[in-house]
Amino acid sequence: MSVASKLAYFGRTAIGSIVRSPFVHVIAVASLSLALVGFGVARIARAQLDALVDALGGEVELTVYLAEDAAPEQVAELEQALTQRTGGEVHRISPAEALGRLATQLGEDGKALTELPQNPLPWSLEVRLPKAARDAEALGELSRRTRALPFVTGVDYGEEALVRLGLIARALEVASLVVFSLVFLTAVIVVSATLQLAIFARREEIEIQKLVGATDRFVRVPFLLEGLLQGLLASGLALGALVGLVRWLESSAAGPLAFARLDGQLAVEWPRLAGELVGIGCALGLSGSFIAVRRFLRV
Amino acid sequence: MIQMFHVTKAYPGDPPVLVDINLDIDKGEFVFLTGPSGAGKSTLLKLMFLAERATRGQVLLAGRNVARLRESGIPFLRRNIGVVFQDFKLLPTRTVAENVGFTLDVLGTPRDEVRDRSLKMLRRVGLEHKADVSPLKLSGGEQQRVSLARALVNDPALLLADEPTGNLDPALTVEIMDLLTDVNARGTTIVVATHDATLIERYQKRTLRLEKGTVVADERGAKAARLMSQTA
Ligand SMILES: Nc1ncnc2c1ncn2[C@@H]1O[C@H](COP(=O)(O)OP(=O)(O)O)[C@@H](O)[C@H]1O
Ligand SMILES: [Mg+2]
Repeated sequence: MSVASKLAYFGRTAIGSIVRSPFVHVIAVASLSLALVGFGVARIARAQLDALVDALGGEVELTVYLAEDAAPEQVAELEQALTQRTGGEVHRISPAEALGRLATQLGEDGKALTELPQNPLPWSLEVRLPKAARDAEALGELSRRTRALPFVTGVDYGEEALVRLGLIARALEVASLVVFSLVFLTAVIVVSATLQLAIFARREEIEIQKLVGATDRFVRVPFLLEGLLQGLLASGLALGALVGLVRWLESSAAGPLAFARLDGQLAVEWPRLAGELVGIGCALGLSGSFIAVRRFLRV
Repeated sequence: MIQMFHVTKAYPGDPPVLVDINLDIDKGEFVFLTGPSGAGKSTLLKLMFLAERATRGQVLLAGRNVARLRESGIPFLRRNIGVVFQDFKLLPTRTVAENVGFTLDVLGTPRDEVRDRSLKMLRRVGLEHKADVSPLKLSGGEQQRVSLARALVNDPALLLADEPTGNLDPALTVEIMDLLTDVNARGTTIVVATHDATLIERYQKRTLRLEKGTVVADERGAKAARLMSQTA
């Protein structure tokens, strides 16, 4: 009557079923693994993209140009206001400093600049933004608000690149949502088909179980467990495959993803990824077996 | 043990299989259920182990009205009823002992205990030495003894047998019937459906005769034997 011996029985039954018809289970586990490897690759790629955005974002600065007639006190006031508003670091660039930089950038041609009777450049402020403020929307909003401040004549930031990266990231998210819905659905269908076969193969056993007084739950649980085991097995295999893949990419200097490697290491949070794979694998396996049990197990 | 009042069983679209059945089988009785093929013997047994429900009328098992029993309660009732069939219904992919142990597995019995009790039961039917072979390796009589062992291993109060000797030659038939008599002597109520007149003449038990879905005779002892020689 003990729960433990029932669980042991369920385990033996589910494993026995897998062992007795390995071929169909190999198909189910393979489909699940493929789906999970695909998911893992997308996850890892997404993490690389995020890292890339972060790295680019490190160079994102807001440059605020001020009116020529802005007095040093007013510049200081603005500097304070921007520091407060953005939570970032604000540097004051004097017209002389700006002219110097420009001259350096222009090299030989820049020499003419020093000949000018009067410095034509205005004061400007360079704002290094904290990480949290570095998405396209927040930046757009900030630049709009800054433009409205007194003495501000223009605001510049790496608008284009950032907006484009943001769009790419969002498009990838939507696309992967669609693709993985389909991939996962297919995996669930395959699992449920193998469970349907398992139920068919054990129809006599089920009949006898019912005859000798098995409850419906007792008949069903081993099949659900079978789906769960398929999911677990598949997530283990997928994780192994992904570890192998990442090792290979990291070790081959001219690998296809070499451009995205930041410092010879891919940004993979393994514990989290493993958790997701196991969670999704089990959920897919269970859903497949649940559907099969619901539709085909007439007890 | 089993009571039926005005029980009718009909499958949709067909004339009724059983019509206005009334019967009362006491605890510890041994009852033959006889009648020509198609008379409704198997259907009557199905009502007794709740594979089917009566269309009308009341069925009482051990004093409980099963009409009020929910679907989820059926398994628990079945654990007190052993059933054997003409075709044995053994699993060829399991050993003899595993087939017997099925009844105990369902109860969540620990594995070692399942094995012990299955072997003990197999000893009772004289098949302990075949515990670890496939039922496919056994003769028909031996297979029916395994199926009996499975039905009896949890010591049910009621044993139902549907043509248990239908596939067996006379010598093996006697073997099975002697086993059933022995089980009955230990207190288990037994109902055997059979159209084999020689069985009824030989064992002289209470006999219910079904024809076209109704009970046409209910006799005991020598009268039952005579009933068969008249109508069979
Ligand atoms: N599931 C069913 N659906 C329709 N008719 C059935 C069903 N089961 C049995 N019958 C009919 O009920 C009658 C009695 O069958 P059964 O109880 O098997 O008789 P017996 O066991 O005495 O030979 C037969 O005419 C048979 O065709
Ligand atoms: Mg019959």
